[in-house]
Amino acid sequence: MAQDTGGVKDAGKWIEAAKPEYTVLIDTQHLVTRLYDMVNVPTAVWVNEQGRIVRPNEVAYVDNRYKGMHGIEASEYLDALRDWAANGERSVFALSEKELKERLAPQNPDWALAAAEFALAEYLYRNGQSAASIRHYKEAQRLNPESWNYKRQAWALSDADRDYGTSFMKEVQKLNGKPYYKPRRLPEMKKPK
Amino acid sequence: MLKMLSLSYFAMMCLLVAVSSIVVEAGVRVVIYDNRTTEVAPPPETPSTDDLWVTLEDLKRATGYVIKPQGVCRDELCFPIPSGRRSAFLSKKGSITWFNLSEFARLLRQPVAHEAEASVWYFGPRPDEQNGFISSLAAPDFKLPDMNGKPHSLSDFRGKKVLLLTWASW
Repeated sequence: MAQDTGGVKDAGKWIEAAKPEYTVLIDTQHLVTRLYDMVNVPTAVWVNEQGRIVRPNEVAYVDNRYKGMHGIEASEYLDALRDWAANGERSVFALSEKELKERLAPQNPDWALAAAEFALAEYLYRNGQSAASIRHYKEAQRLNPESWNYKRQAWALSDADRDYGTSFMKEVQKLNGKPYYKPRRLPEMKKPK
Repeated sequence: MLKMLSLSYFAMMCLLVAVSSIVVEAGVRVVIYDNRTTEVAPPPETPSTDDLWVTLEDLKRATGYVIKPQGVCRDELCFPIPSGRRSAFLSKKGSITWFNLSEFARLLRQPVAHEAEASVWYFGPRPDEQNGFISSLAAPDFKLPDMNGKPHSLSDFRGKKVLLLTWASW
């Protein structure tokens, strides 16, 4: 799901280039980000045949093209995914109900308000009120400073240096070695007998 | 001379149209509730707070809620108005009863974002709506379009494993 306020105009060329054999949706309002309390892309959730969550949000790179920046190895995640596809609930990567409930937490009220501010900003932007939208994008970023979605989407819609006094690369530099993504917690793959 | 008069008349009419459209737009208030956008009637007087008061008709149009003896209700769901605080929620001006949607959001702990200049209010989901999946573990459903505008729901994929993956062009 493309989290793109610009819709087909921004996401379309990437979809065409990928020639996907799977379903690709465009989420102009970042609804999935809000529903699943996500803060960055690529983020994935595993859902089983009954529509139940098997693994909640986690970083989900499927290749290593940006590994130099974030250090996350894609092959571990792909191996885990293949294991679940083959073994379903018996996969060591499918979390139990107890493990899932330990990992999932109610949305922080500040983050809930940030989501509302972001949604309002998105409405204002879509209706040609860019100056007003920037005020609310900034408020969303202040309330949920962990969300790269709120930052990067807003910056992409305007001149980030002029309107926000920053840019993606400047913010990445400010991390100063702190991980860009929350580390994944994948168990060791069991060795085949 | 006649041409000049006609031009002046035309210019005056344009000005009148422009002024009247500003007046109309100034009164428009926009409510986004459950992701649905509705324009609601202007308040009876200049509001003294940022709270959003709406007519009972607009309350139903914008949110689906109606006032019943047992409280503020939508389908089977009713939220009683706290005893002794009825005037914080309801106010009668002349023949029209107004409802304070902002106070109702505070009661339900809904997040609200407001843009004063454009008169737009966005109401987010109640915490129990947002967090309900944590007890059920059911993946929250949604409906979104593909590149050709065809809508797809997560629930359409029941019976298959789904890797729900977000990405972006930015």
